[in-house]
Amino acid sequence: MKQHLGRQSGVEKVEVSLIDGKVDVTPKEDGQIDPVQLLKATYDSGVTAAEMDMTARGQIAKDASGNLALRIRPNQSFVISPNELSKGLEPLADSQTVVTVRGQLYKKPAGKKKGDAAAPLKLLILDVQKKE
Amino acid sequence: MHTKKLALLVLFGSIFMPVAQAQIKHIEMRVEGMT
Repeated sequence: MKQHLGRQSGVEKVEVSLIDGKVDVTPKEDGQIDPVQLLKATYDSGVTAAEMDMTARGQIAKDASGNLALRIRPNQSFVISPNELSKGLEPLADSQTVVTVRGQLYKKPAGKKKGDAAAPLKLLILDVQKKE
Repeated sequence: MHTKKLALLVLFGSIFMPVAQAQIKHIEMRVEGMT
């Protein structure tokens, strides 16, 4: 699996801990990594992803439906699942402020053997680390 | 003239810098079925 993930574009380093089933992925400097492709590559390597967390820096944007999203680059953004922490980010929507957040992008549905890797990923904010 | 160029540089720098800084810094996964 380590080699499989390491071949994905934008991946600098992959560290796998067999004991606790943890996989750490360090993106390259340019940060052009696609979490959806990582999830797909994980499934392709024969293991099931139970959870995926991401630390990212980007701007808060609001779409036409009023959903907040973390915009990493013009063609890469993640819709934010509403919670207490996301409420604090609302005033920053469509501003030039850059935030660093840690959030959960994927969690395998309880009771299911395999989650849907093709489903759109939503970011559940776990921690707001920095506002610049 | 130089002042004008410098002002434009600062203006464009401030517009594009936050986007340039945006990036995914780290991804952590918990997986099942790994041997």
